[in-house]
Amino acid sequence: MIGGLLSDLSLYGRLIGMQLRSQAQYKANLVIDIGTYFFITSAEFFGVIIVFASFPSLLGWHLGEVALLYSATSMAFGLSELVGAGIDNFVETIRRGEFDRVLLRPVGAFLQVIGSDFRLRRLGRLSEGLLAFFVSLHFLVGLHWTLAKVAALLIGVVSGGAIFISVLLLGATVCFWTVETTEMVNIFTYGGREMMSYPITIYNRLMQTIFMFVVPVAFGSFVPISYVLDRPLPFGLPAWLAFCAPIVALVFALVSGLFWRFGVRHYQSSGS
Amino acid sequence: MLRFYFEVARTAFRRQLIYRWANLSGLLTNVFWGVLLSYVIIALFHSRPVAAGYDVTDTLRYSWVEQSMIMIILPFGWYDLLYTIRSGEVVADLSKPCDFYWYWFSRECGRDLYYLLFRGLPAYTAGMLLFGIGVQGDWRVWPIFACSLALGAMLGIAFRFLYNVIAFWIIEARAVAVLAGTLALFFTGSYFPLPLFPAPLRAIVYWLPFNGLMNVPTEVFLGKLGGLSLLFELGRQSFWLIILTFVALALTKIATRRVTVQGG
Repeated sequence: MIGGLLSDLSLYGRLIGMQLRSQAQYKANLVIDIGTYFFITSAEFFGVIIVFASFPSLLGWHLGEVALLYSATSMAFGLSELVGAGIDNFVETIRRGEFDRVLLRPVGAFLQVIGSDFRLRRLGRLSEGLLAFFVSLHFLVGLHWTLAKVAALLIGVVSGGAIFISVLLLGATVCFWTVETTEMVNIFTYGGREMMSYPITIYNRLMQTIFMFVVPVAFGSFVPISYVLDRPLPFGLPAWLAFCAPIVALVFALVSGLFWRFGVRHYQSSGS
Repeated sequence: MLRFYFEVARTAFRRQLIYRWANLSGLLTNVFWGVLLSYVIIALFHSRPVAAGYDVTDTLRYSWVEQSMIMIILPFGWYDLLYTIRSGEVVADLSKPCDFYWYWFSRECGRDLYYLLFRGLPAYTAGMLLFGIGVQGDWRVWPIFACSLALGAMLGIAFRFLYNVIAFWIIEARAVAVLAGTLALFFTGSYFPLPLFPAPLRAIVYWLPFNGLMNVPTEVFLGKLGGLSLLFELGRQSFWLIILTFVALALTKIATRRVTVQGG
C-alpha cells in the first residue's frame, strides 16, 4: 500500500517535471502567458473592489475585508488550476477516445489524468491573489494577526485548492456520460469562485447551505477569513470550524474520488 | 447579392438551433451569474438607498438586461474567425464570391438573432421571476431600445471581427483576443454597471467604443436617457459603429490583398 503510494508519487513527480521542462522551453511565451493571465485576473479583482467607490460597505463588509476574502478564494482557485489542469482538460481525452489508452497502462487512471498537465501560466492567478492579499493588508491596518489566524488562512487556502480540484474531478467524471463539457459544471467551479469572492452571508439560505455543506468551497475562503476577521459564521456555527477545513476537503475528495471510480468502471469508449 | 447574405444569416441561425442542450446549460449559467450579481447588488444597497440616480430595482434590472444581452452582443470569447485563419480554412471563405466582412457579418447576424430569442428572452424572464424586476412599461421606449440593441449587436460583430482578424498578422492572436474580451467585459458594465463607476473614470469610459456595446441599450431600456442625451448616446453609438466597421473593412482589404495562408 505504502510502496504503491510512493511509486505513484514519484511517477507524478516525473510527469510534472516533464511538463515543467517542456513549458519552460518557450520562456518568452511563458512570461507573456503569465502576464496576460495576471492582467485578466486583476481586471476581475478590480471589478470586485470598484463597487466600493459608490458604496461604503457590502452588508457590513468593507473594502479590505472583501479584498482579503477575494485573495483567499483566488489563491485556492489558482492552486487548483495549476495542479488540476489535466482534470480540466479531461473532456478532450474522452472525446478523442484517448482514455482507452490510459486504461491500458499499468498505472491508475487518476494519476495519469492529473499528471497529464500542469499549467505554469496559471501562476498568473496565484500572483494576482497575492497582490490582492497585499492590497487587503493595506486597507486592514488595524487587524490583529495571531499565529492561529495565519495558520487558519494557510490551511484554508490549501484545503480550498483541494476542494476546487475535487469539483473539477466531479465535472470530469460527468464527461463519461455526456462526452462533452457541461457548462453546468462551470457553475460550481468558476461560479463557486465568483460566489466565494463575496461574503457568503449575502446569498439566500439555500445557496449558503449548498456552498457550505454540499460543495463546501466556503471552507477554502469564507470560513477561514471569518476566523481571521473575527466575524461570526452563518447558521450559528463555531469559529474553530476554520481548522476543520482539511477534514472537509478530505471527505469531499473521497466522495468525488468514489464517483470518479464509479465513472471509470462505467466508461464506454466514444469510438467511432 | 442581398439574398445571398440573407441565406447566410438564415443558415447560421438554423445551425444554432441544433445545440439545444448546450443552449440550455448556457442559459442556466447566465441565470446563475445573474442571481449571483443580484445578491451582490442587493447587499450593496443595504448601505445606501440610491447611488448615481440608481436604486436597487434599477440596478437589478440593469444587470439582468446586460446578462440577457451578453450572448447577443458577445464582446468576448468568440474565436471562430481566428481559428479559421490559424488553420488555413479561411481560404475557403475568402474564395467565396462575396465580401469577406459582410459574409461574417451576415453569419453573426443570424447567430445574434438566435441568441436574442433563445437566450436573451428566457434569461430576462428568469430575472423577472426570481427578483421581480418587471419590464419597461413605457411602450415608446421599446422601439428605441430595439434600435439601440441592433446598433450594439452590429458594433459587437465589428468588435469581434477586429480582435479575430489580427490573426492574419499575429501568430499568438488568441492572447490578444482574450485581452480584448476582458477589457470589453469590464468596460461594457457586465462586472458592475457603468453608471455607478466613479465619476472621473466614467467620463473616460463613456467615450470608449465598449459603451455602445451594452451600456447604451441597457440605459435606454431602463428609460434613463431622454431627449438630447438619448440622441447624443445613439449618435455616439453610431459613430463607433461606423469607425469600427470601416477599420474592419480596411483590414480585410489589406489582409486579402496579400494573404499568406498558414498550414498545408
